[in-house]
Amino acid sequence: MDLVTLVVFGSWLAPALGSAFGREVFASAENADKDYDSAFEYDYESLRIGGLVFAVVLFVLGIVLIVTKKCSCSSDKPRPKDPDVETAVPIAQ
Amino acid sequence: MGYGRSDSYRVATTQDKDKSPKKKKGGKDMDELKKEVPITEHKMSIEEVCRKFQTDCVQGLTNAKAAEYLIRDGPNALTPPPTTPEWVKFCRQLFGGFSVLLWTGAILCFLAYAIQAATEDDPAGDNLYLGIVLTAVVVITGCFSYFQEAKSSKIMESFKNMVPQQALVIREGEKVQINAEEVVGGDLVEVKGGDRIPADIRVVSAHGCKVDNSSLTGESEPQSRSPDNTHDNPLETRNVAFFSTNCVEGTARGIVICTGDRTVMGRIATLTSGLETGKTPIAKEIEHFIHIITGVAVFLGVTFFILAIVLGYSWLEAVIFLIGIIVANVPEGLLATVTVCLTLTAKRMAKKNCLVKNLEAVETLGSTSTICSDKTGTLTQNRMTVAHMWFDNQIHEADTTEDQSGASFDKSSVTWLSLARVAGLCNRAQFKAGQDALPILKRDVAGDASESALLKCIELCCGSVRANRDRNKKVAEIPFNSTNKYQLSIHETEDTNDNRYLLVMKGAPERILDCCSTIMVQGKEQPMDEELKESFQNAYMELGGLGERVLGFCHTMLAEDQYPKGFAFDTDDVNFQTDQLCFIGLMSMIDPPRAAVPDAVGKCRSAGIKVIMVTGDHPITAKAIAKGVGIISEGNETVEDIAARLNIPVSQVNPRDAKACVIHGTDLKDLSQDQMDDILRNHTEIVFARTSPQQKLIIVEGCQRLGAIVAVTGDGVNDSPALKKADIGVAMGISGSDVSKQAADMILLDDNFASIVTGVEEGRLIFDNLKKSIAYTLTSNIPEITPFLLFICANIPLPLGTITILCIDLGTDMVPAISLAYETAESDIMKRQPRNPFRDKLVNERLISIAYGQIGMIQAVAGFFAYFVILAENGFLPSRLVGIRLNWDDRSVNDLEDSYGQQWTYEQRKIVEFTCHTAFFVSIVVVQWADVIICKTRRNSVFQQGMRNKILIFGLFEETALAAFLSYCPGMDVALRMYPLKPSWWFCAFPYSFLIFVYDEVRKLLLRRNPGGWVERETYY
Repeated sequence: MDLVTLVVFGSWLAPALGSAFGREVFASAENADKDYDSAFEYDYESLRIGGLVFAVVLFVLGIVLIVTKKCSCSSDKPRPKDPDVETAVPIAQ
Repeated sequence: MGYGRSDSYRVATTQDKDKSPKKKKGGKDMDELKKEVPITEHKMSIEEVCRKFQTDCVQGLTNAKAAEYLIRDGPNALTPPPTTPEWVKFCRQLFGGFSVLLWTGAILCFLAYAIQAATEDDPAGDNLYLGIVLTAVVVITGCFSYFQEAKSSKIMESFKNMVPQQALVIREGEKVQINAEEVVGGDLVEVKGGDRIPADIRVVSAHGCKVDNSSLTGESEPQSRSPDNTHDNPLETRNVAFFSTNCVEGTARGIVICTGDRTVMGRIATLTSGLETGKTPIAKEIEHFIHIITGVAVFLGVTFFILAIVLGYSWLEAVIFLIGIIVANVPEGLLATVTVCLTLTAKRMAKKNCLVKNLEAVETLGSTSTICSDKTGTLTQNRMTVAHMWFDNQIHEADTTEDQSGASFDKSSVTWLSLARVAGLCNRAQFKAGQDALPILKRDVAGDASESALLKCIELCCGSVRANRDRNKKVAEIPFNSTNKYQLSIHETEDTNDNRYLLVMKGAPERILDCCSTIMVQGKEQPMDEELKESFQNAYMELGGLGERVLGFCHTMLAEDQYPKGFAFDTDDVNFQTDQLCFIGLMSMIDPPRAAVPDAVGKCRSAGIKVIMVTGDHPITAKAIAKGVGIISEGNETVEDIAARLNIPVSQVNPRDAKACVIHGTDLKDLSQDQMDDILRNHTEIVFARTSPQQKLIIVEGCQRLGAIVAVTGDGVNDSPALKKADIGVAMGISGSDVSKQAADMILLDDNFASIVTGVEEGRLIFDNLKKSIAYTLTSNIPEITPFLLFICANIPLPLGTITILCIDLGTDMVPAISLAYETAESDIMKRQPRNPFRDKLVNERLISIAYGQIGMIQAVAGFFAYFVILAENGFLPSRLVGIRLNWDDRSVNDLEDSYGQQWTYEQRKIVEFTCHTAFFVSIVVVQWADVIICKTRRNSVFQQGMRNKILIFGLFEETALAAFLSYCPGMDVALRMYPLKPSWWFCAFPYSFLIFVYDEVRKLLLRRNPGGWVERETYY
């Protein structure tokens, strides 16, 4: 559980940094021009890239998870045979 | 076969029974079929039969006559059950159950679009798209489940035995081998050991012929056949052999009296395919669920329709709203989710050797409250095995397990060696050739079942019987016949210097005892005294009481002076000694229970499932096996047992004192419906013996009448009507007959009764997990509907569009919802009672209240929070939004002012609106994280359950990735009108996600702390 939240937050970091970077650009542009009538400006390009990287990372992580599941599943196949063991594991975790 | 056990059982199969009033409901045909067999030929003399069919009992039919009869009666084959055409099956998948809901939704969508197209110049395409998507979803899911079922029916096909049967008939005095299909009434046929009987035949002459009727009557012992009529009942008489039973040994010649569907077997098969079956429990649950959902949808729709009218919308607009709300209530993804969940379970069960023919049947075993099991071949191994022996004045137990893992007895006694020698020598059974590589128990044997049992037993204990027989050459033999009731053979001895002959004999124990004057104890011959006789009687009674077939063995060395080497033994006119023999011991045989059965029965018991045995076999055997496998548990007595113990007549025993009961078929047919209900209700452990196929059907109907969900297990043709009628019929894959497999819903590929326990477990698990999946999927309905409602009532810009709703229902929610099918059980599901189909529903008000009323509401608030945050960041404070709708959606207004006086063009406004849709969508994804985690359990805390379900974690990752992809992928603004979100907007819903988690954990904590308390009564779904 802890690991999962860590991974989720870790992956959040990348786009968050990207966005901070984006905002700074926006702020400096605003400072330079001070054109209050211009339309909304936002660095959508880096936001998009950040978001897509985030999506890809999560996607790959998910796939990796499934693949490792298959491996571990085949290695400890005899385990589920004993129902007691199966119920005992989540409590132990 | 008269060995050791009298054949005076009452006979249940009757000719004049079964006129219970309810039977009259069905069509005339069914009534007719439920009556017993109308065969009368067994009572006629052979000449009469010949006259009836205009045939000759030596020459057979003429070819012309045969051809004429063939045209008149049709081929001698069972009409295959009417198969549903493939397109009907496909349509059933397309329009059955849950799909109806989606079809209704789709039609409403098209209707709404049609109204819009007729009234507006530039109609929004949303309703059209939604209609198309809904249609696509139903069609794709329909195809999916159609192919799933096609797959298992393909496996079914492979069971069919394609080899055409041959039959040996005599026509115009010549023996000809013809296809069994061409056999006609009146044909003179010849069968020999190993053949399948080609039709119902009246035996004309027989030589040691025995048939195995187990698939028709459930009797495990082969029955001998002879030309004499021994019983009024055609099923009991010795002179009729039945279609598709097997001739085990000997030869017989008979006149065909019935062919094809008119045979006894054919009547059962026709009865089976004519039976109508009810809906599966899960189908009923889904129907109930659809009712609830439709109720909610119509209620919401009508309420807001009235509200819209009150608020001053036009009629047409209000109708569009009405349709929109109803359609928004349709959980688009649920059909696919349920189908995939059931498929996954079906796959899991197939891996454990339970093949499910119909997806919906996956759950049925989980709801089962009564199992009616056949005995022969299902609970037992369907092979005679030596179970006990009595020698040296002591009963010894033999190993009856399938893998020889059981206990063994002391084999060192000399008496045992003598007993083994007699049993091996005085035995005509032998292993078929070319099976040396196989384990002894797996080898095929030519010969009588009990002789095979002896052969295998001796081969296992003492090594090759054949070698022993070779060493002791047989010089004379009297085969078993029913007048002698013994079998005898004379052999040379192993010792070449010993010129004496060895006489060995086996047979009915009392008969053997009469021939003996001495008895062997610890290898020494002792005179037979009263004490030993008494001890013999006790052992004989005890073994007989266990339902076993008992044989006695004796031998003697013939004196050399009387019977010198080369003495001509005459077996017809017995010229040698057959008395003053030396008694050795008894061996008793039974068709032993399968190894895994007692355990499985025990597990069913603890899971609250009543196990009833329904068999065609004799009551004593049935009771013994029932006790052996735990269907009658230790210490429980029947009325007869109590009467015997207290030494009072049966009528004085209070039936309520007896938990167990054994009911004979003849008694069953005299019972009224009330008495039957009374028995089924008041006895926990019931054995029905000597039942006919029709009676099995009545028993199943009786259980169903009492509200039980009934599973029937069986392998024979005699079980198939009951298999079909049951809520779930379970047939045996290896030993089961084709008819039974066709009638069943589930097939145990390994014939292992224990697989039923797996089925129950999986069924219960999927029922629980479906609840969780549905709770999860339904929750997001509320944040999907409320935006539309507020759009109508408060006139705000639409917070969530149709496309985004579809992205949730068919996109992000799918994997997590399916992953809940992989959840492990929260508690030991095999320790609780089966669910009550009237009370424990798949979807109940409490589930709806949690999903819609509680979690769903929090989710809706989370979505609106993100919506208002974005609009506020863009300058539209919430106060400005109320009532803005008409201007906002007006293309011609390009100077709409926000709260700060900034002017917005239509295009700019729309971009903000669609960004809001995206943010609302992402917020729902975020709150659904928490939702899937709380849906993992219904009672336990997540911390108890753990996060071991990797599919679920995968689902969380994928739904988030999909959400990010939809938001950030270039081109999405054109394709789906989704816009990239600033990272901070993702976090709007986080507190709500956390709130949902805490809220539900607290609820479950209260629920666990106060069992049966208010929280449990109101919120436990």
